[in-house]
Amino acid sequence: MSEPTKMPEPVQQVVEPKLSPAELKKRAKAEKQARRAAQKDPQEGPSSAPALATNGVHGEQKIQKQSGPQEQKPKGGQPKGQAQQKQGKPGGQEGKHERTNSIQQSLPIRGQPAPTAPPKELPKKDRKQVELFSHLYTQPRRHDIAGASNNVHPSIVALGFQMSSYEICGSSARCVAMLVAFKEVIQAYTTPREVSLARDLTSRYLSPQIDFLKSCRPISESMGNAIRWLKKLIAEIDPSTPEQEAKDYLCDEVDRFIRERITVTDQAIAALASGLVKDGSVVLTYAKSSIVEKTILQALANGTRFRVIVVDSRPLFEGKNLATSLMHAGLEVEYLPFSGIAHAVKEATLVLLGAHSMLSNGRLQSRVGTAGLAMQAHKADIPVIVCCESVKFSGKVALDSIVLNEVAPSEELLLPKATVSHPLAPDRKDDDDDDNRQVRSLHDWRDIPGLQILNLMYDITPAEYIRMVICEYGNVPPSSVPVVHRLANESM
Amino acid sequence: MAANTQQRHGIPDTPFDVVSTYRRLLAEDPDLTMPVGAIEALILGLANTPASTVSETLDLVSKLTAQLKRSIPNPISLSAGTDLFQQYLISNLQRPSARGDFDHIRSHLVQNGRLFVERAKAARETIASFGRHFIRDGNTVLTNGGSRVVGALLRSAAESSNGNARGSIRFRVIYVVSPSSSSGSAEESESTANIAALREREIPVATIPPTAIAYCMDQVTQCFVGAEGVVENGGIVSRLGTLQMATLAKAAGKPFYVVSESHKFVRLYPLGQQDLGIEQNIVDFRTAKGSGSGTEAGQRKEVKDEGVADMEEGDAGVARTVGAACKPEEAVDYTPPHLISGIITESGVLLPSAVSEELIKIWF
Repeated sequence: MSEPTKMPEPVQQVVEPKLSPAELKKRAKAEKQARRAAQKDPQEGPSSAPALATNGVHGEQKIQKQSGPQEQKPKGGQPKGQAQQKQGKPGGQEGKHERTNSIQQSLPIRGQPAPTAPPKELPKKDRKQVELFSHLYTQPRRHDIAGASNNVHPSIVALGFQMSSYEICGSSARCVAMLVAFKEVIQAYTTPREVSLARDLTSRYLSPQIDFLKSCRPISESMGNAIRWLKKLIAEIDPSTPEQEAKDYLCDEVDRFIRERITVTDQAIAALASGLVKDGSVVLTYAKSSIVEKTILQALANGTRFRVIVVDSRPLFEGKNLATSLMHAGLEVEYLPFSGIAHAVKEATLVLLGAHSMLSNGRLQSRVGTAGLAMQAHKADIPVIVCCESVKFSGKVALDSIVLNEVAPSEELLLPKATVSHPLAPDRKDDDDDDNRQVRSLHDWRDIPGLQILNLMYDITPAEYIRMVICEYGNVPPSSVPVVHRLANESM
Repeated sequence: MAANTQQRHGIPDTPFDVVSTYRRLLAEDPDLTMPVGAIEALILGLANTPASTVSETLDLVSKLTAQLKRSIPNPISLSAGTDLFQQYLISNLQRPSARGDFDHIRSHLVQNGRLFVERAKAARETIASFGRHFIRDGNTVLTNGGSRVVGALLRSAAESSNGNARGSIRFRVIYVVSPSSSSGSAEESESTANIAALREREIPVATIPPTAIAYCMDQVTQCFVGAEGVVENGGIVSRLGTLQMATLAKAAGKPFYVVSESHKFVRLYPLGQQDLGIEQNIVDFRTAKGSGSGTEAGQRKEVKDEGVADMEEGDAGVARTVGAACKPEEAVDYTPPHLISGIITESGVLLPSAVSEELIKIWF
């Protein structure tokens, strides 16, 4: 949450850095309302303005919107407003402001830290948000600690930035990293006087950490399950336990959780799934899943002769890492872009997929594109197998990819700029009138009226396309996901 | 207790042969299914062998199981029973309370084993009482015979009425009878007996060859089949030809019910016909020169896992006729769950998706 983005009033800007996460949440909600109001506005006319302007911020924003999408200058015209304006127009004034050397120059790739500060999604330019997915644009991803609660532990801060820049990516990896960080956090905790650890640790100390992580990137289902487990564990600690003892106990339990629910589980799943890879198989996989990688390497270690097709897609290109590591292991790997799925499916005998989450109606939430691949494989009657630890099983139900999803910064979808085409003069951003005299590229998408870019992270694969789900409880059909979820996540 | 069981079954104290015991049990009691026979054989084995510790017992059981599975060409049905028994042993013997009095537990086990067998037999009647409500006046039922539990169900439907011999439901039955298989096999005698029993009860029965299933599908209102094993995803492993009946029923939009005891639920999750873990040698490519299935291994491309090929191959060369399965009563296929409308078990009528739930309940 950066300070200058939203509030044109100087008074509020002074206050802003001290906003607590709760207040931030409130503000996000208020902004959403304002957006909706603004949407209605053109039809309703200015008569509704006074009613909507009950809190000053909204009134301000609404008026801006009414003045048309091109006119985006804040009323105040103060220096902070200017800075904001620059961010809004990527490509202008490289390097002048630290935030303007932005993400467009290099594609974000897993394992490689994304540039530190991509431009923010400016809520007041909310025409740039796809309306159907507006509930997903809660907060822009945090890349700095401004406005963060002051008792956020440094290890959490570091972890948060690693997550928001995809340095730590993947549902299991994020869950493990979070638990490891929580161990440090717990050890750094001292119980205030006159409260017990069991009551204070979760609500006063752990919650700000979790909120910080959420503000960096929405947390995954596995993290949610792990947090729920940890909170329950803390709540069950006997208040008479000495503090250090309780903390050591918690840390041991966290270690045990990682070992039992993720490390050993992964081995078990890899052993089970690798048995499905037979001599002569052609294994098709999409993007990168650590568990699929383990499975394939396990099958190789079993002495099976098979080959692998990795299908990959923009913008994260996670499959490159998988293809490289499998190649180094000595496998024959074919690497295809997503546009080649029809071709890939023709040769495949088995599709192995990782998961972000398995939903209770048997549907799979995974990297966007998975559903397309699964559909192709299903049509070709190739078994689609999902490898998924039970910690990723969820009690939620989704019918489409709209309700549960995550919107990543749209800039990730832009291709790197060709070095020659840099026609934008620094002063161009100020004159909105003569926009059409220049050749525009997608990089100017914020200035092009009616253009929105949607960068979704996940999609939902229907249960009919999934032949089998492999978890540590064995092979189960997708219809048994709620049973395993109850067994694994709710009775622990 | 051990002595007691021995007496009853008249087993000599010589080294215990689980395979011959299993075969004898099945031969003695025509009502016995394979998984129950396997469990009974294992219990007898347990009773006949002195084992004093938990791990020794478990080891013995797993050894006997392996022996049993090796000797049978298609151990899918059998393994449902042995797995169930092993799991029962593990969960019972490894409870902390079990440590105290091992001998007591063991004798209890041997005693309860009989009970289990009795219950498994009784299950068939329960299933029949559930299943007969699926048959209504004017229905035409298609079945592929050979299954004792389907026979019991149809008989029960034929008798279901106010006590007199003739039932109040008027329905017809179409039995699929394979013409190629010679009479005398257990399956055939079973279906002949079923047909005779139904005709006696004034139920009109037609017999058709498997090639006529599609032809008569429009007259059929529903299908009932038995199963050798119900697999984890709710699909079934059943005698060859079940899959095509299910596919045709699905295409015609007719309900396809599986009738099976719940002890036939097996922890197996096949992805396709080639994934059953058994070698059936049904698709056998030949040329004018090469005839032996074993020598022309290169031609049989689609059979990838050759786990237990040895004894099938031995008699396959002798008995097989062109185009027919080597042993009709032993060849099986896998019917995926989306072709199945419901599974009628003694614990109720289940959707295929509920099978995995039941199995998870047993195993965890």
